Amino acid sequence: MKAKLIPATSLLWLSAVLALLAGGELRAEAADTKFQAYLLWGTDDTKPPEGKSYKPVTADIKQKLKELPLKWANWFEVNRKDFAVSQNAANEVTMSEKCQLNVKKLAGSNVEVSLIGKGKEVVTRKQSLPTGEMLVLGGNAPNSTAWLVVLKRIE
Amino acid sequence: MDYNAQLKLQSWLDGELPEAEASEITNWLTRDREAASLLEELRNTHNALAGFEATVRLPESREFFWSKVEREIQRLEAPAPKTARRSYLSLFRRFLVPASAVAAVLVAGLVLNRPTGLNGRSAVAEIETALADSGTFTYRDYSAGTTLVWLSYPADTEVAENDEMGTVE
Repeated sequence: MKAKLIPATSLLWLSAVLALLAGGELRAEAADTKFQAYLLWGTDDTKPPEGKSYKPVTADIKQKLKELPLKWANWFEVNRKDFAVSQNAANEVTMSEKCQLNVKKLAGSNVEVSLIGKGKEVVTRKQSLPTGEMLVLGGNAPNSTAWLVVLKRIE
Repeated sequence: MDYNAQLKLQSWLDGELPEAEASEITNWLTRDREAASLLEELRNTHNALAGFEATVRLPESREFFWSKVEREIQRLEAPAPKTARRSYLSLFRRFLVPASAVAAVLVAGLVLNRPTGLNGRSAVAEIETALADSGTFTYRDYSAGTTLVWLSYPADTEVAENDEMGTVE
């Protein structure tokens, strides 16, 4: 009888721990998810365009962009937005006059991101975006430069 | 003659008394006729029994026999377990097995129904819909945890015609 009870007790404890962990995850899902969105301009020049006071992009973003197959050497921050999205809710963030980002928080670490350019939906992407990971949307800009919209999940 | 005096007399007869006490008894026997009479009676009884005493041999060693006696005494002197506590414990034990089974089923359901895929990432497929851009390509850097979606929007020509900096500003 005792020999049977020991695994039964262990199982109960294990179940309790797992249930607590699952509960913690559910509570975490219920909380707001925090994001940072950046509008970046990429160039091979070392300075931003004349008349613009863009700051160089932060070191961590620069490092991650270096690891992507992008040819531009320097990235400047045009705009930055911090925002939060509730579970199953969406938040539209204006990055520039012509560029908006719509972020919807789905189940787990999934997000649905829509890029709106000049009032039209350009692309919609649904993917997992765990904390610390980034989604980079970009394209070519005039004079061999590039634009990027970087969405980073903070929490 | 009191009971203790009778016992002392018996001990004297058996040769169990220390020397000082034995000489006291010897003196007492010379003075007390009742004591001398009792001693005589005890001696006769002792002699009568000694002739009929059967020799009993233990089937085991003396040490083993006494260890059995000692164990039996300890068993009898051990405090009886509390019945109430044992009943709570047995109730709890009876509850444990079905509770564990239910918990295991719940946990299995929880774990199996969780939408997790490789590396703990969501199993939800990555879905991309390029509405205004058919030239989209996607690059995924798993080590850096970065996804790049490159768009051909806005077309260079379109930007050049209308904007100074395309979509950036």
